[in-house]
Amino acid sequence: MAKLTIDDQEYEFPDGTSLFEACREARGEALPHFCYHPDLPVAGVCRLCQVEVEGMPKLTIACNTTVRDGMVVHTRSEKVNKAVQQILELHLINHPVDCPICDQAGECGLQNQYMQYGLYESKVEIQAKVKKHKAKVIGPYVILDMERCVLCSRCVRFCNEVTGTGELGIFNRGDRAEVDVAPGVELDNNYSMNTVDICPVGALTSRDFRFAKRVWMLKSAQGVCPGCATGCNVRIDHEAGRIYRLKPRYNPEVNGRWMCDRGRMTYKQVHSERRLLTPLDGGKDVTWAAAREQLARMLEGKPPALAVVSPHASLEEMFLAVKLAGAEATVSGPANLDREDGDDLLLDADRTPNRRGLATLGIPELQSGALADRLRAASGPVLVLGGDPARDEAVAGAMEGREGLIFVGDHDGPTAQAAQLVLPAAVWAEKAGVFVNRMGRWQGFQQAVARPGAVRDGWRILAEMLSLTGAAPAFESLRAVRRGLTAKVLPEGELDMDRMPEFGFMPAGGER
Amino acid sequence: MSFEGLPRGSAAKKQSFLERTYFPEIIRGLVVTMRHLVKNILHTSEMPTMQYPEEKRVYGERFRGRHRLMQREDGSPRCVACQMCSTACPADCITIEAAEHPDPEIEKYPASFQIDLLRCVYCGLCEEACPCDAIRMDTGIYEIAADSRSSFVVDKDFLLNNTTEGTL
Amino acid sequence: MTIVYESLAKIGFMFAVIMGMVVVLIWMERKGAAFIQDRTGPNRASIAGIRLAGLIHPVADVFKLLFKEDVAPANRHRALYNMAPWLVMTVALSTYAVIPFGDFLTVAGRRIPLVVANLDVGMLYILAVASLGTYGIVMAGWAANNKFTFLGGMRATAQMISYEINMGLALLGLMLVFGSLRVTDIAAGQADLIWGFLPKWGVVVQPVGFLLFLTTVYAETNRNPFDLPEGESEIVAGYHLEYSSLKFALFFMAEYAHMVIGAALIATLYFGGYQVPWLPRPALEEHAGLLLTLLLAGTALVSVLISVAFLRRAGRERGKFGDARDREPGMGAGLWLIIALAALAGLLQNPWHIGPSGAEAFASFIQIGAFLAKLVFFAWLFIWVRWTLPRFRYDQLMHVGWKIMLPLGVANLLVTALVMALV
Repeated sequence: MAKLTIDDQEYEFPDGTSLFEACREARGEALPHFCYHPDLPVAGVCRLCQVEVEGMPKLTIACNTTVRDGMVVHTRSEKVNKAVQQILELHLINHPVDCPICDQAGECGLQNQYMQYGLYESKVEIQAKVKKHKAKVIGPYVILDMERCVLCSRCVRFCNEVTGTGELGIFNRGDRAEVDVAPGVELDNNYSMNTVDICPVGALTSRDFRFAKRVWMLKSAQGVCPGCATGCNVRIDHEAGRIYRLKPRYNPEVNGRWMCDRGRMTYKQVHSERRLLTPLDGGKDVTWAAAREQLARMLEGKPPALAVVSPHASLEEMFLAVKLAGAEATVSGPANLDREDGDDLLLDADRTPNRRGLATLGIPELQSGALADRLRAASGPVLVLGGDPARDEAVAGAMEGREGLIFVGDHDGPTAQAAQLVLPAAVWAEKAGVFVNRMGRWQGFQQAVARPGAVRDGWRILAEMLSLTGAAPAFESLRAVRRGLTAKVLPEGELDMDRMPEFGFMPAGGER
Repeated sequence: MSFEGLPRGSAAKKQSFLERTYFPEIIRGLVVTMRHLVKNILHTSEMPTMQYPEEKRVYGERFRGRHRLMQREDGSPRCVACQMCSTACPADCITIEAAEHPDPEIEKYPASFQIDLLRCVYCGLCEEACPCDAIRMDTGIYEIAADSRSSFVVDKDFLLNNTTEGTL
Repeated sequence: MTIVYESLAKIGFMFAVIMGMVVVLIWMERKGAAFIQDRTGPNRASIAGIRLAGLIHPVADVFKLLFKEDVAPANRHRALYNMAPWLVMTVALSTYAVIPFGDFLTVAGRRIPLVVANLDVGMLYILAVASLGTYGIVMAGWAANNKFTFLGGMRATAQMISYEINMGLALLGLMLVFGSLRVTDIAAGQADLIWGFLPKWGVVVQPVGFLLFLTTVYAETNRNPFDLPEGESEIVAGYHLEYSSLKFALFFMAEYAHMVIGAALIATLYFGGYQVPWLPRPALEEHAGLLLTLLLAGTALVSVLISVAFLRRAGRERGKFGDARDREPGMGAGLWLIIALAALAGLLQNPWHIGPSGAEAFASFIQIGAFLAKLVFFAWLFIWVRWTLPRFRYDQLMHVGWKIMLPLGVANLLVTALVMALV
């Protein structure tokens, strides 16, 4: 342990702690910085995090210093502030200050730190700034504006150290130094947009988000990426019912500070043209009242003969499906759908967010042939919850021409086409719920945007079906559903699902 | 009803019998109104009323009228769609959609720029917020009338050609 | 049969007077209010550029209201809702039946009394019909199925009950003095002089009764300061809130028709009705030639003066508007000049010697004119008061009605009875 004084107060940190992190803890906010990133190796190139350490002749950068016993550190002294101000001034000599058209404006390190530490009049009289390439497309998702770059090298380190692909490098020297891809190389790895996140200025920006919205207009909700079984924690940035981007949300147990490009694009399915927006009875738009009558006619007061639950559904919806059809009559599948290649970083081969949830509730998963047989064998109405199982040919064959198919789903497709009654349900960003990731970690997500059209929350649709079968108890709130769910699969009092822990909940013995 | 404990106003002042009958005061009031009536009948032309469509008040140069968008030399909008104005707007009346400009020097431009004149409170914060002097409220136009709500939502072309002369 | 035609003619005359007065009163109200408040008031509506100082506006208003969409609340009581405005209007018009607008007129040898129905119980008829008007208001307030209209109706009822008693008490004093319930008797009785110089008007013999009656008439017509049933600052527009188009127009016109009744009652009961002060009927007939000559000469003189004023305005405002409105002063000058010329032509016909039958007709027309002049003055008083006084608070209204006016009315009645018994 090292005892040291930071800004006239004593602290104790384990040996080997970076002075930068020690100062962040002591001050409650980070030191000014561009290049330091907790998940990347230290570079020490921006020189912004300089602090005054007594006994040292000059200011020293905190990121490349480890705490030592008896250190006396000043982070807010006159000398430190002046140093920060001067470094910022140097950075701004060649910066284009095109904040009005820069997508980073509002979450820009240069802007924020100038507002906090700078606020000086420029002493540079020469207005001829060094011109570099602007708006250069360097990959499918990333666009580079070299004039805005502060050469912190975070992006280069990310490509070298995290993905190991090394597309980016710094070329030339002095004020001609540039970040760029080598000729013939594209920044096209599946994690390229993390460079946009870590870029402290507007040099690397997202092509997908380009000019779409000013960042200060966005509102945020906490979500879980539905793209694969990893379940990266995400921040859903949205405004006026529209999602504009997904950003990784820190979770050291799952995704750290990263997420993959495929996951970031999953928000597009929310605003897809193929969304089901109204109930369909025999392919025709009907009102919910009419759909409910039709539902009552089809169910005749009895539970459905079979419920096919998709691993895309939330845990709450799965629980209600089991309640509705009974454990025996609830299956999932076909198991072979939504499986592609994964990588060993974050992307999982299983492209469904909640397959582990099926196991949690004891729902068996069938291969396509077995599922087709079950469908043929079931006499009476069949409930299909979420996903699109009819993408599998065998299942499609079993569904074709089958009477009494009730589809509670979100997107149009073969299943919706085959169903007699389609009830439009909310997708992940339009509802609250829980996904269980591949490690068995329960992760809660919030509703971000309003449901479009006549779309309803899935648990409400299922609870209504439950009341049509006359089953007790009636579930009148999501809270009630969650209480029933935890009572079924968890020991008493282990989890209150309305207050999920920040990094998710791992039941005892959950690890695979 | 009891007013005990409340501060007693002028009603509580001792009034003479004549005052309490109200009639002297009513007659005094009638005299006041009649004085105005007679004066105005005899000197109709001295009334302060302005005969509006024929006579118009002259406003100062800094009067904030209907907005206009400034043009570059080639006639395209000076606006770069930074949305500072819509951020500053307290009435939330400016809607801008940005797009990529073919000229890389300009980079960003407003694909659509709409102002809902019915929502606008003519505060002038958009003018102040604009970093490019692209929006101004110096047309001096205050006669804004239309026969449907939708025609009060004016678009980019209208605002670009909205000179200091002319009306809606 | 003749009597039917006579009655129809009298009804038609009264109807024309009232509806004409309604239009004039609306104009007087708007223009008067404007001038009192240093505004110009209505001055836009015109027929071929002629605006008649805003008189076209009420006419335009009527047409506007006739053609507007009739928006009615969905949950109204249909029958009552439709009936209410007509009831209010009918009641407003029927009070006039007993009000004499002149003494008599001799046509083809028949002496025609200038009153539609010379009832024995005319005073009671007035009280009875006046209180019927409340039913229309209460019906309107209730049938519209709206809280505000309902409150308006409630207020109207409470106000009417409180002030009807005072009105009755005030009129009782008058009946004692003139010894009759017949309105024509009261009007005729006011021709006398007291002590040789004071006209025996109701206001002279019953000053307290007059003040009580004046106040209650304001309350009964729902005019400021007693317009709580409308109370736009608290209950939007009160009982007629949910009415539009023609039905609203009926309420609107009924208010002014009520004002005309109020003014007619005040004039008839307290200011000598059709009597010209100091000039009773025989005197009028005796000096008819002199009076007619003076009248014509005066008309000619005044018309010439007005015409000159118009001409000066025409010179001053030449080309002010640049449209048809510029012709107005010139046309005004011409019109008044024609009137002056007509009066002069009349003078040339030797009006001094108009003969006995002519003198009789002249006297009748002078009396009708006197009645109308008093009517217009008291109607103007309604407007004048409205734009001078603020509205009473509800508790003040009740306080004044029950605690001040009621005792005062009873005292007035007792004193009157005592004096009548002694004299």
